[in-house]
Formats: sequence, structure tokens, C-alpha cells
Amino acid sequence: MQTALPIVRKEMIVGYRLQTEWSWLIATAFFFGKVGAGLFAVSLFMGYPLGALVGLLIAEVGKGTAHLLYLGRPERFWRVLFRPQTSWISRGLWGMVAMAVFGGIYLILSAAGVTLGTVPNGILMALCYAGALVVMVYDGFVLSASPAIPAWQSALVPVLALFYSLLGGVTLATLLSTLVTSYPPDREPAGYLEVTLIVANLILVAAYVMVMADSAPAARQAVREMVRGSLAFLFLGGAIGVGLLLSLALALYINATGSEAPIIILAVTDMLGHFLVFFILLRIGLYNPVY
Amino acid sequence: MTRWGMVIDLERCVGCNACTVACKAENGTPRETFYCNVLEKTVGKYPTAKREFIPVLCNHCADPPCLKVCPTGATYQRDDGIVMADDAKCIGCRACYVACPYNRRSFLRKELLKRGYYGELTPYEEKKYAEFVPGTVVKCTFCEHRLAQGLDPACVITCCTRARIFGDLDDPTSEISRIIRARGGFQLLPEADTDPSVFYVK
Repeated sequence: MQTALPIVRKEMIVGYRLQTEWSWLIATAFFFGKVGAGLFAVSLFMGYPLGALVGLLIAEVGKGTAHLLYLGRPERFWRVLFRPQTSWISRGLWGMVAMAVFGGIYLILSAAGVTLGTVPNGILMALCYAGALVVMVYDGFVLSASPAIPAWQSALVPVLALFYSLLGGVTLATLLSTLVTSYPPDREPAGYLEVTLIVANLILVAAYVMVMADSAPAARQAVREMVRGSLAFLFLGGAIGVGLLLSLALALYINATGSEAPIIILAVTDMLGHFLVFFILLRIGLYNPVY
Repeated sequence: MTRWGMVIDLERCVGCNACTVACKAENGTPRETFYCNVLEKTVGKYPTAKREFIPVLCNHCADPPCLKVCPTGATYQRDDGIVMADDAKCIGCRACYVACPYNRRSFLRKELLKRGYYGELTPYEEKKYAEFVPGTVVKCTFCEHRLAQGLDPACVITCCTRARIFGDLDDPTSEISRIIRARGGFQLLPEADTDPSVFYVK
């Protein structure tokens, strides 16, 4: 008779081995990258250079710093540029470089009041969006491309990354335009977009949990940890309760009343939920038992 | 073409961990760093419960996921199938560590090389630790330095029950190939689709 296998870390026994190497620092880098790229892309779309600048800084400085703090040999980080043909980490750095270079050109031109022709402007925007898109989704591909951890092996993970990134972008653009009123984006469509993205994320998270609950043994074990185990409080209370449901209630309230005060609370709940979802995703990284 | 591989006889392994110790002595790996070790598993229920021992090491997969995810090219595969990690190129991102379905990589935290097993570094630890680059990922190399001298890996030589057989998987007449054929050798986690060079027989 097969005995139920335990969750193990470094112990020399067969079980669902927990990945412990990628934790809060990587979650922080993922968070800054997605939120920053999301804000950058949303701000470009809304024609909001201040938002694009803040997004660029969050992505490049926040994410870059978190990654450099995590690396064992940070002084060699430039080597990451050499393997885009196989490595999503490498592609991610290329995305960050593209975002920095083309986003920087866009911001300099905006600040100088230079207007490009339709075609050059279209090309510049396309390059900015391309870089931002890579930064928004590559974390998801880094996880989903890993054959070792079944809970990450889902096409839903990059989609989650994209939608959380867009949600973070809309939230921060709204917050920024509320705090700095000199050049606000159109608040009303942003409000509807916010609600739509929160609902979309809720559906995506539910779909992810349902798919994983019917997947490989390690993925099922991961779902158990998420909804009934040690991470249930963070997942159900933090990521779902505060991050999505409370954010949804606040967004609906803001849309209905036009009140600006709860926007700050919405930004906090949304950011907390965003961070927690990907932190939990890293924390449920269980390997299938080798034997 | 040679493809180095290993077959491990689970019926013969007694879980003595001599391979674990021999590997550590050969490679001088610091605390928490095991290129090879023996996992235990309890099967059945009292009064018929028994313990199984599963020696594990880098599988030197023919299609290694650690190689694909490495963003710097530090992980590479030799023509003889051995998967290596170049500590001059490794940035310590641990993508390979996470991508290995067998969890057979170790990260050398700086503090691991500052303290020996018993506090201050012994002369042996001092010499061996100097060969490591802190902040990089290390792994089993099938004792490639021994292979270069025509010797088998340390874990194979030391195994007191001869549970480990090392040889060329591409040579159909080699002992390892014959054992795998005759006894239905199997690989760990075949669903990972990595085609390991380490086989097991029962």
C-alpha cells in the first residue's frame, strides 16, 4: 500500500520537494516588473508621459535592483543577454532594455515637445509596447516553461501575468492622475477597465486553481496548500479577499460615486493582491516525487 | 559516440550513504551541498512496512531542462553527455536549480564557504573550498576529473554492494547496457521527458 508522501525541503526522503530558492525577492522583482511595465503600457495608450516615466522607473529600477540583490554574481548580469534563443530570463532582459531605450526616447521627445511623423511615431510606439509586453509576460513564461514544477506548467500563468500587469498599470495610472492632477487620463474609461480587469483576474485565478486541481500530483498538492494548507490565509484572505474582492468593491464604489478618496486604498489592496498571487505561486512550487 | 551513464540497482542498495560521503570527500563540497545522496521512502504499513533507498544524483539528461533555461550559457553539455556548469559564466540566478525535475543542483551561498563542517575550516576544506566560486550553482559532473584519468566516479568505486555500475550507454556490449536491457532499466520521472543517463533496476 502506498503511504501518502510528505512535503519536504532538504530532508533526504522521497516526497513533494518544495522549491525554496525563488522566494520573496524574486516575487518582488516580478511585482515591480509587471506593475511598472503595465503602468508604462497603459500610460502610453492614454498619452500620459508622467505615468510612462513612473512605470519605466518602477520596472527598470525596482525590478532591476531586486534581481541584482538576488543574483549570486550580480556583476556578471550582462551575460544574461546572450541566450534569448532558449531562455525566457534572457528574453526578459532584452524586453527591459527595449523598454528603457525606446521608452526613454519617447519620454525625451515628449519632454522636448517634438512630434514625430506618423510612421516613425508608430514604429517607436510599437517598439515601446513590444518591450513592455515582454516584461509583462516573461515572468509567467519563466515559470510555465519549467518542466520541473507542475503547478507552474500552465499556459494560464503568462496570461495571469499579463492581466495582473494591466490591472496594476490601470490602478497606478488612476492613482497617479488623482495625486498629480496636472495631466490626468480619462478617469471614466479607466474605471470601467479597472472593474473589467479585476473580474478577468478573478476568473483567471479560479480557472488556474481548477486546472491545477485536476493536474499532476504535485500540482494537486500545491492547490491543497493554497486553499486548505499553510498558504490558505494568504491566498484566500490576501490575494482573493483583499486583492480582488475588496478591490472590486472599491472600484465599483469609485465608479458609482466618483469619489477619489478610496483610490489610494484601492491601489494598496490591488498591489497587495498582485504581490501575493505571484509570491504564493512561487511558494507552491512543488516538484513531483522522483520515485 | 560515448554517452556516459549509470545504472543503480535498488535491490542492492542498503542505504549506507557511503556514496554520499565518498562524493563529498572527492569533491570537497561544503555543508548543505550534495552532488549525490540517498533518499529514503517508507512503503507499506505496519507490520509489513519496509524502507526503500533511492540513490540520486544529476541524471545528465540527454535533453536537460537546466541547459535550456540557463540565461548565460553556463550550463552546457559535453559530447559524451555530461552536463556541466561553468562557474566562470554562472550568475547565480538559480533558474537551472528550479528547472531540474530531480532537484540535483546546489547553490553555493557565500557563507557556506566561510565555515567548515566543524566550525573553522580544516586544511582540507580550505584547499577544496578555494576551488569553488561563491554565488554560483554547482552540480555532479560524474567525476569528470576522474573519468579523464580512466577512473570511475567516486560514488561508483566506493559502493560496497556494487549497486552502481558506470559505463557507456551507447555501447550495446557494455555492462551497463546489458544490465539495463536484461533487467528492464527505468529512468526517474519519465514524464519530464528529459531522457536521463541514470537508470535504475529492481
